[in-house]
Amino acid sequence: METSSRELQAAEYLEKHQIKEVVSYLTSALLFFRPEKPKEYLISLLERLRIAKVTGVAFPFFMDNSNIVAMFEMMDSSGRGTISFVQYKEALKTLGLCTEDEDLQDDGHKITLDKFKEEVNKRMKEICEKTKGKDSESYQTAAGLLLLH
Amino acid sequence: MDATIAPHRIPPEMPQYGEENHIFELMQNMLEQLLIHQPEDPIPFMIQHLHRDNDNVPRIVILGPPASGKTTIAMWLCKHLNSSLLTLENLILNEFSYTATEARRLYLQRKTVPSALLVQLIQERLAEEDCIKQGWILDGIPETREQALRIQTLGITPRHVIVLSAPDTVLIERNLGKRIDPQTGEGHEEGCHRLGSELEDTGKEIYHTTFDWPPESEIQNRLMVPEDISELETAQKLLEYHRNIVRVIPSYPKILKVISADQPCVDVFYQALTYVQSNHRTNAPFTPRVLLLGPVGSGKSLQAALLAQKYRLVNVCCGQLLKEAVADRTTFGELIQPFFEKEMAVPDSLLMKVLSQRLDQQDCIQKGWVLHGVPRDLDQAHLLNRLGYNPNRVFFLNVPFDSIMERLTLRRIDPVTGERYHLMYKPPPTMEIQARLLQNPKDAEEQVKLKMDLFYRNSADLEQLYGSAITLNGDQDPYTVFEYIESGIINPLPKKIP
Repeated sequence: METSSRELQAAEYLEKHQIKEVVSYLTSALLFFRPEKPKEYLISLLERLRIAKVTGVAFPFFMDNSNIVAMFEMMDSSGRGTISFVQYKEALKTLGLCTEDEDLQDDGHKITLDKFKEEVNKRMKEICEKTKGKDSESYQTAAGLLLLH
Repeated sequence: MDATIAPHRIPPEMPQYGEENHIFELMQNMLEQLLIHQPEDPIPFMIQHLHRDNDNVPRIVILGPPASGKTTIAMWLCKHLNSSLLTLENLILNEFSYTATEARRLYLQRKTVPSALLVQLIQERLAEEDCIKQGWILDGIPETREQALRIQTLGITPRHVIVLSAPDTVLIERNLGKRIDPQTGEGHEEGCHRLGSELEDTGKEIYHTTFDWPPESEIQNRLMVPEDISELETAQKLLEYHRNIVRVIPSYPKILKVISADQPCVDVFYQALTYVQSNHRTNAPFTPRVLLLGPVGSGKSLQAALLAQKYRLVNVCCGQLLKEAVADRTTFGELIQPFFEKEMAVPDSLLMKVLSQRLDQQDCIQKGWVLHGVPRDLDQAHLLNRLGYNPNRVFFLNVPFDSIMERLTLRRIDPVTGERYHLMYKPPPTMEIQARLLQNPKDAEEQVKLKMDLFYRNSADLEQLYGSAITLNGDQDPYTVFEYIESGIINPLPKKIP
């Protein structure tokens, strides 16, 4: 079935405003916190997002730095300090930072914690730049907060 | 981290929460609106959409040939659902809009309103507060494919479309008996007189000489004959309708329902109302947690087995669980055995512990379960609730007493082969086998009567507790009952009008 121009336009719109990520974040938050009144909770989350976009205050990402370390440690069950390439790719997909068909180079070495952190932060920053608000510099601060060790 | 190394264990509270609050549908509606309007700033748009909170208001389109009773059904539905009714006439009569004035002028000249103008009027009207908050019903619009497409491009989508249909001869005859009561409807008489006779019929009650004759004689006296209901005119209108409706129907593939208008008004209304109150099947993830209730012999075990086989649910039969525990000589089994020996009912607390152990296992959580044999009374039901095992579909299987007696008292077992027979439904093949058949003492008449009484004493309470339960006639062949259960599980529960 060929995709009509309206469909392509819609897909572009979703891509441009990152609607999928936002909806995914909202649904995860709802299912995790399970508030009594889902609509009010969603409204409050969206208000926070809106304010974050405008003022550049810390974007309420679900994952922050300590989570990245925890995630790495979970995957590295034997405590060697490295994870395999397959695990690394899966982790990036789970975080929503890499698409299915993106081709990551496997440089033969295992991925260490630092490389993992670096890659995650780099991708998060890319996303922040794409959805920059009115003041792109102040938005960089949000990404900068994430990079704090 | 990925699901191959350590399978994701999703706590059961999450899917339960998702189902109860219809999270999937909520998100789906929001995404639909986003894609239709594609605002530059999606987040404030989403906030506004959530504030409006009108995902579940009625959005209905009623189509049908002339004299099918569209307007009557539309008006009744409006009153019942408390929504706004939109017809060609009342859209044009809107006195506060320039578009309406233009439309009126064109209507007087040519007896029709151009589609573009009409659709603009609809858009204006639907943006008003009352339509947003309480829903809308479109009567007789869209008439042509062009109108249908224009409405669609504006992003106006109905949730239910009802098409009334009846044979032409019936309609022509019916139209001859149409009568109008000029005195109902609100204050449009002034405007109407200026606009021509057809518009006078706006909002007026329609009666019929044969099918819907008003009881009060004062109404009877003032009824008027409307214009253009002669056979020839009706036939012409029908021709045009048939030409157009064929092209409109494909625009609404999954939400359309055809109701025969060749039956009493009340029946048509009842069917329309039930349809409008039902939700369409969604793609929301759904793990069935089915509870089957019914007196002994109503077929619960059989239906549970069929369900487990077809949908791979876990069949949890309370009695079976207890017997298994005793047979396996588990810790619970040791506690249960004295009750079995004395032929007393196992206490609720013990029962719940055994049940919890089974229902907490991973396969029950992931695949869903079919529970039968419990709860037997209100206390057990409350205990189940408190433990968090809330079924999302409850079925009551009703079987009359005589059928149950027939089903149970004629059961026999062959002690040599162990084969189970039924003297009526599955008789033994030879006389020799029949001679040696034995009956289970539990199937004796008095025992069955006792158990049935026990069930019926508690059933009223249980029916009250499980308000959204579906009652089925269990007195049919098993596959028919199974189909009813299936449709009850697969279709979303009908929503009740508050």
